[in-house]
Amino acid sequence: MRKSLILIVCMALSAAQSVASNQCRDEVFLRRVYLTVTGALPNSQECVSFLDNESPKRREALVNRLIQSELGLKYMQMHWGDILRIKSEFPSNLWPNGVQAYNRWIYEQLLHNVPYDEMVRKLLISEGSNFRAPAANFYRGFQSRTPQNYYANINLLFLGNRNCTDNGYLCFSQMKFKSTKEWKEEIIYLDIHKELPWHKVVLEDGTQLELRRDTDWREEYVNWLTSKSNRRFAEVMVNRMWYWVFGKGLVHEPDDWREDNKPSNPEKLKELTDFFVQHNYDLRALLKKILLSEEFNSPMAPEGGYIPQRLPAEVIVDALASATGIWSRYSSRVPEPFTFYPPATRATHLGDATVSSSELELFGKVSRDVSLESQRNNSITSRQLLYLMNSSALEKRIRRSPVLKRICEQHSDVLNVANAITLRVLSRRVTPNEVRLYKEYMQENGLTVQELAFDIMWIQINSNEFLYNH
Amino acid sequence: MRTIYLTIILLLSLAFGANAQRAKSVILIYLDGGPSQTDTFDPKPNAGRNYTGSYNKVCKTNVEGIEIGQKLPLLAGIADKYSLVRSLTHGSNAHETGHYAMITGDTSGGAVVYPSFGAVISYKMKDSYKGILPSYISVTSANSRFNEGGFLGNEYKSFDTGGRPESAAYEVEGVVNKYIDQERMNKRMALLQKFETEPMAKRELDSLRAINMEFIWGESRELFNLANEPDSVRQRYGKSRIGQSCLVARKLVEAGVPFVNVRTTGWDTHKKHFQKMNSMLTNLDKALSALLIDLDERGLLDSTIVLCGGEFGRTPKVLWEAPWNGGRAHFGRVFSYLVAGGGFQGGKVVGKSDKTGENVAERPVQPCDLIGTVYLLMGIDPYGTLPHVSEGDLPILPSLLNNKKSNGLLYEIIDVKKPSYEK
Repeated sequence: MRKSLILIVCMALSAAQSVASNQCRDEVFLRRVYLTVTGALPNSQECVSFLDNESPKRREALVNRLIQSELGLKYMQMHWGDILRIKSEFPSNLWPNGVQAYNRWIYEQLLHNVPYDEMVRKLLISEGSNFRAPAANFYRGFQSRTPQNYYANINLLFLGNRNCTDNGYLCFSQMKFKSTKEWKEEIIYLDIHKELPWHKVVLEDGTQLELRRDTDWREEYVNWLTSKSNRRFAEVMVNRMWYWVFGKGLVHEPDDWREDNKPSNPEKLKELTDFFVQHNYDLRALLKKILLSEEFNSPMAPEGGYIPQRLPAEVIVDALASATGIWSRYSSRVPEPFTFYPPATRATHLGDATVSSSELELFGKVSRDVSLESQRNNSITSRQLLYLMNSSALEKRIRRSPVLKRICEQHSDVLNVANAITLRVLSRRVTPNEVRLYKEYMQENGLTVQELAFDIMWIQINSNEFLYNH
Repeated sequence: MRTIYLTIILLLSLAFGANAQRAKSVILIYLDGGPSQTDTFDPKPNAGRNYTGSYNKVCKTNVEGIEIGQKLPLLAGIADKYSLVRSLTHGSNAHETGHYAMITGDTSGGAVVYPSFGAVISYKMKDSYKGILPSYISVTSANSRFNEGGFLGNEYKSFDTGGRPESAAYEVEGVVNKYIDQERMNKRMALLQKFETEPMAKRELDSLRAINMEFIWGESRELFNLANEPDSVRQRYGKSRIGQSCLVARKLVEAGVPFVNVRTTGWDTHKKHFQKMNSMLTNLDKALSALLIDLDERGLLDSTIVLCGGEFGRTPKVLWEAPWNGGRAHFGRVFSYLVAGGGFQGGKVVGKSDKTGENVAERPVQPCDLIGTVYLLMGIDPYGTLPHVSEGDLPILPSLLNNKKSNGLLYEIIDVKKPSYEK
């Protein structure tokens, strides 16, 4: 009895001290991991329960939960949609039916945690109808349907090679398209009786592929691409995942691998690549490993620590919606009849770059025109701040916010009102210093608590603490 | 040696560049959805009712030999101030590819998506234009069917004013906010300063916020206040969306803004075409004629290019059958644009469509030819380049370098001589 009591006390003590001094604080980790994995802010209850959790394994438990959550899978799906250029209209022209099928397919791969090599294989040897065999949209989403164009994109996506000079494109020269009677449906099929190209396929590393009559030549290439001896294939994905987490690749840009573009931390790249290959290209295990790494758990610092990143457009727009409780309505104008998304659809879940809003455009939503990661432009501009500072649309949302209304109904004192808003917007508790500032501000300006609540929310959504993942 | 060579190039470009630039600003009046060319700038009164529909008359203009649609009498009175291009063609009948062609001058299908020409002009003038107002403004919103900024990035996208200029209070997004006065804003800013204790990105954000405070409370606020304009002027433009938007455009150009996009929607008239045109063309006639006269009276027409047209035209033949019951469909094979000011001559017609207006009869003009001419007049080399983050320098108008995609810049209606090296 006595022994177990001591044990409990020891455990509690070790939990309190388990956050080493070289780790970021729990409240920082919570917001950081939520934004990184789900693109969403934690709700106030999740904040409180995590901040009150004293288990030494609390960070790992949170990571495990988030990477399998629907929010986490959908956010990962957005990253894939960006590089696969999923878009109804120009220039991918997948059309809404194709977009939905393709997104669903990616979601299912992520849900079942299909190994990366298998997922790439399914994409590259796809055929059939763009509406019924979703992976075929990989090929359908090209304006220029030439083997050279497919091959350049495959090199960019899976090998980070922007300038491929070998003749591997011949492996993609059997594909043909035919349309059906259904609007915008097309079938990709293989002309496997095609004459053999007179020249041999020799890849950049010297590998020779043998193309045989009456077979799918793409398979020859995919076997080479995804084989465990092709280390670059694994490295590029490891580095991309690192980039998705930190906003900067170990090799940067993540899709520009060259002899003269060396990794900033070759040991880290090697360690993670070994891990990824040993775990049979398990994407979820890779993400988990990165999220539990020292780098991800470091305090923010310009060097040698976590480097703050401006939130992506979709994430800012969703964060504004969840802070105020007033969500944008999204609709697709192509093709008629128009599609209307359900209320409170997250911008990170739209799945179609053709669907947009002026708010999303302002913060630089990815247009999915090309497969480059650099398409996402997270620079901060004066116009973005202008919108946050003084847009009547946003001010209206603050003033009509059901969230603020509820908070002011539940509480009447500055401390509790400010604490509730801070949990909601910044995912942490209010500090005594902030309470003092708010009280002074309220008295100086003769404001009611309600009016003060508007200004607190305004200040918080205009703060760099809100705009950045830190 | 290299230095001497570079100096010569620099001197040459200074000498010719300065001469070439006539225009300082562009106003694009974009009729989104595609206006009918045969009901506006290229009427075919003798083609029969299956073509003319309700409009079988024309307006004779004040220029001998030029006639325009019967619903445009005010524009007919000032044809000496503008020219008409009646042979634009890109062949696309889909909105998104039509927009892309007319707004970028590029043809779709390539590996790279080009920025809009407003973004290009905004980019090219980033060092010479120093105004507090954004260099590319859309009244009230840009066309968002593709990525406006293209590979140039967020900074060069248009600033969309939002709001309704035709209403009593024109609430320009981010500038006019009826809930917050200057005093309250100052107090909020002061509290924000005390609240932000982390140095993260603070300097950068603070300096952007300071620029915004000047933009919100400085001269631009008054500029957007249409109540400052005499009522007679507001009436002359017409109290319609397009009318008051054109008035805003004039004020912006007067303040030095390089590119103003006045985008009006509703031109995609598959059904009830003529009923809709009755009011829409009257509004357009009023707005556009008032704008041209106003710019001219203020001495701004010489330095302001005005363009008016859409992503394509509409079928010259009326669709009488159900479900259209008197509509016109998309038509990219031949359509018209009005061009004026900034070095474009007035009272001229470029190109010709055939008897029924269904084919180009003379001098086809492709989108890159029109946009390239605008670049030339703005002092931007139409054969120059734009920087792409991964592809290096790309031609500003790739189609212009391709004989099949270009029929030559519009030298016949500008005062710039065709250089001998062009075909």
